[in-house]
Amino acid sequence: MSGVRQLPAYILGAAAVLALVFADQLNSYWMHVAIIAMYYGILASSWSLLAGSVGLFSLSHMAFAAIGAYTSALLIKWFGIPIPLGMVAGVVMCCVVGGLIGWVCLRMSGPYLAIFTLGFSEIVRITIATEDDVTAGMAGLHTDPLIAGAATRLPYFYTAFALLALSLLVMGLLVRSRWGLFLRAIREDEQAAAASGVAVARFRILAFAIASGFAGLAGGFYAHYIPIITPSMGDLNEMAKLVVMTVIGGMERLPTAVGGAIVVEFLLEELRDYGQWRLPLFGIILLLTMRFARNGLLTPIWLRFVRLGEAPGGAPPGIGEEKGSEA
Amino acid sequence: MNWDYFFVQFANGAVIGVIYAMIAVGVTLIFSILKIVNFAHGDLYMLGGYCAYYVIELLGFPPLAAMFVSMVALFVLAIMLERLMLTPLYSDTTERKDEYGLIVTFGLAYFLRNIAVIAFGPFPLKPPSFIPGVLRIDNLILTNDRLVAAGVGIALMAGLLYFMRRTIWGQALDAVSQSRDSASIVGINPRRFNSFAFGIGAALAAAAGALVAPIFSLAPDMGVLPNIHAYVIVILGGMGSVTGSIIAGVMLGEAENLFTAYFPDPTRAFAYSNAFGLVILMLFLVFRPQGLFGRRHLRME
Amino acid sequence: MSAAGELVRGSGLTKRYGGIVANDGVDFAVAEGDLIGLIGPNGSGKTTLIHMLTGHLEPDGGEVAVRGRRVTGRAPHIYAAMGVARTFQLTQLFGRMTVLENLLVPGLTRPHSTREEVTRRARGYLAFLNLSHVEHLDAKNLSGGQQKLLELGRCLMLEPAVLFLDEPFAGVHPRLRDELILRIQELHKEGRTFVVVDHDMESILRLSRRLVVMARGAKIADGPPETVRTDQAVLAAYAGL
Repeated sequence: MSGVRQLPAYILGAAAVLALVFADQLNSYWMHVAIIAMYYGILASSWSLLAGSVGLFSLSHMAFAAIGAYTSALLIKWFGIPIPLGMVAGVVMCCVVGGLIGWVCLRMSGPYLAIFTLGFSEIVRITIATEDDVTAGMAGLHTDPLIAGAATRLPYFYTAFALLALSLLVMGLLVRSRWGLFLRAIREDEQAAAASGVAVARFRILAFAIASGFAGLAGGFYAHYIPIITPSMGDLNEMAKLVVMTVIGGMERLPTAVGGAIVVEFLLEELRDYGQWRLPLFGIILLLTMRFARNGLLTPIWLRFVRLGEAPGGAPPGIGEEKGSEA
Repeated sequence: MNWDYFFVQFANGAVIGVIYAMIAVGVTLIFSILKIVNFAHGDLYMLGGYCAYYVIELLGFPPLAAMFVSMVALFVLAIMLERLMLTPLYSDTTERKDEYGLIVTFGLAYFLRNIAVIAFGPFPLKPPSFIPGVLRIDNLILTNDRLVAAGVGIALMAGLLYFMRRTIWGQALDAVSQSRDSASIVGINPRRFNSFAFGIGAALAAAAGALVAPIFSLAPDMGVLPNIHAYVIVILGGMGSVTGSIIAGVMLGEAENLFTAYFPDPTRAFAYSNAFGLVILMLFLVFRPQGLFGRRHLRME
Repeated sequence: MSAAGELVRGSGLTKRYGGIVANDGVDFAVAEGDLIGLIGPNGSGKTTLIHMLTGHLEPDGGEVAVRGRRVTGRAPHIYAAMGVARTFQLTQLFGRMTVLENLLVPGLTRPHSTREEVTRRARGYLAFLNLSHVEHLDAKNLSGGQQKLLELGRCLMLEPAVLFLDEPFAGVHPRLRDELILRIQELHKEGRTFVVVDHDMESILRLSRRLVVMARGAKIADGPPETVRTDQAVLAAYAGL
């Protein structure tokens, strides 16, 4: 019976193996798209943790990607440290600043938090753009490649895949643990959560720190994959794109958030022939999704997938899904 | 101290302040009555500007008339959008309403901005002046368009304040925006009232866009910065306070302009003038979220 | 100085809202084993007092001590961890989480708790509250009465020494109300202390061993029900509404 129960997990595992094995069949262009899709995947899943699970609608997520990227790139440039160390430094920086923002925002709810984080995001962008003798501003900062002398993008594909898998693993463990329950409780009713013994302040700060750390991880990878970074990587257009991707997929769950990012990114590339029309199109899809399928377009698919292999009549739930929760 | 320079900058700052105030008043009305932050407000301002431009170019209307046409057009458009997208806010089955409002207006902004690029092209457009030429007073030179913008803006806001004091719907607007009483207590259909508030906010933004167009030109992303400034002002003045928004709007316009004019490093001045407003915003959100004139605990449900 | 067996003590608690004094120097002590009914006309400050005694509101003046330790101004979860549980006037649950998850949350906040043990305890309380059959439903889909019971369950998962119930009988069907009273009495017999705020005089009088009356932000009576009911000040307070 337990073998059947784990069916979704096996399917995902098999899909992952297939993706890795056949990755080299992709041409350079589509491999790049896949890598960027995975970059957004890390960002979407970590943002969904913050905004979907805990309910903190932060608009500064992409700014943290920029902070991670620039921290890593600049530290490497000034001190010549190895690139992985630079990336780690970027993550640490984002955790600290993210936690700080979370602390400052403790008393803020919904729209106030959104506006505050929007302000922070713009300040970050403006500062990076303006202090161009340090950051090279809008002209772009040249960065060192993560994998020196790579002939193809393939090693970056594997790296991005590994980082995405690692991120999902860590965040997934968090969500399924008791801390995941506490975070969701905070979102449902902060007062009741406090009355139930949940240290609300601590968890809000932690959620911000962790989510921002992952954004910094994605940004750090990006910095050493793309040869030049500019402050626009963290601007409001990027944030809007992230919101569109995550909400269309489903902002309350990690798999649907990642799915949304990957699907939207691939579609954006696929529809390049339609030029500028792609963007308003996704705007409309977002509006329709919010209006008629607020949980996200991928959520019903995911929920059904997770129930695969269950005995009819309701066997105990499969991967991390409690029956009846958040339909 | 170069007084001429100061006066010109002061005057320009006042003009910008009036424009900011018009946009912020819309945001604050929409927030206090519909209980959502309208992330698409800057794009309504942008559309208002373009609408006036095309009314002038294609229909040959004079600029001031075009502004009024644009106000009406955006009023109607706003009501349509509200009917289409925002009705779930009034239903009991919708959860997490403030999040809904955030995402929907965010998505709307994204959509409008990108449609504008396609519809109007990415290059700046400039409609003809309201009153060409400049006004000279001694050594001061002020463009007439800026004077018109300030004058009409002040007139419109004075009109709004008068409306809010003297008519039933206006008084309801005033009451509901300040004290969160339900419109139905006043005997008004709440749904129509909300649409009305959304429309008024959009109309004001449209007027601002039309007034500003001959001065600063039109571009599809022209609403992005004013949008952010609107939040700064609304927080500063206090969410839900129309007079607060007006005062804070003028103050911010003045402060930013003078900051830019006097900041020691001219290459950084403009960029940091925006950041300056944002820092003020963040400080207020942390230490005094009710702003200068707002009421405490004006929270969302 | 705290008396032996004193669980919660509020001394000189004051709270002001703008010009209104919601609580004016109120002293309130809960001894172990008490079953206190807290009553008073609307606006007398009962809920504000509860908020302060459970950490949800910081007093403008005065101190709160739990088991003799000063906790004034600390976050509410500290109070919960020290065994002070409460329900809310308008039931506050984790709507989109299941009934079981609603109980797991408080259970898992306790140190050294394991998922298996907490789930077992939760299921035990669900049985006690007659909610086992809805374990997998989202809390928001329960009936009003069931939600009140679930909130009580949420308190119990903290293994609290004292439970503050804010209007547990409000809008509750008489049959359910009797059930609630029975449960409270059962739990009280097992050694739990209760402070119950409500306007349902009949239920309060059935339950309480001690009656505390508030009016206009001050405590005007505190003693056994028979004495308090005939207290002149109390009668005046209710009459002068």
